Amino acid sequence: MNLGIFVSDYKLCVDTLDRIKADKLGIILVLNGVYHAVLKEDGKVSELLSKTPNLYALSEDLATRGFSPDQVDSRVKVVDYSGLVDVIFNDFEKVAWI
Amino acid sequence: MGKLALGVYPGLVGSACYDFSLKLAAAAADKGHKVSIWYSGNATGSVKAHQKHLKDYSTAEKYLTALLEKGVEICTCEACTIARGIQKPEGIPGVQWNSMHWYLAAIHSADRVLHIGGE
Repeated sequence: MNLGIFVSDYKLCVDTLDRIKADKLGIILVLNGVYHAVLKEDGKVSELLSKTPNLYALSEDLATRGFSPDQVDSRVKVVDYSGLVDVIFNDFEKVAWI
Repeated sequence: MGKLALGVYPGLVGSACYDFSLKLAAAAADKGHKVSIWYSGNATGSVKAHQKHLKDYSTAEKYLTALLEKGVEICTCEACTIARGIQKPEGIPGVQWNSMHWYLAAIHSADRVLHIGGE
């Protein structure tokens, strides 16, 4: 199953993702979840970014938190709400929110 | 075009998830998709009409009315809403009141379902 996971938080979700099995996993960073795409802790990027090559971040939530697209890890595709709708309908069969 | 069913549980104040769901619903409707929103839990507090918009205390009526005009179907859980002291005549015009089977039917007929949990 192609599963897109909305990650809306920066701290509380990493272990949940470890227990999810999908043929194709996508991680969609929204709200505070976008911090995974830009912040480093102790010089290291978020381990979320290594869980799948299918990474997205919502541009409005990045901008709200003062980040510009060029600050985003290059593995993460930045989309707006319109692009997010396409990701939901075209890239994944199911979506979930954690 | 497809059908997107949103289930929204968090309240409008103190959680950005509710705000996110409004914007996602509008974006999907603008692209021609059929969108339904189901409110349960603290999200149901937002369907009361004529709430006072204080400085940073947001209310949803303007946004919900705009979504209704875009053809988005919005339904609130009758039990959750009444439990919060809101009676049907006090609701925002156009917002439906029903029980959980409405949400189940929306999920069953949808191409995509996004359930946004509570606080």
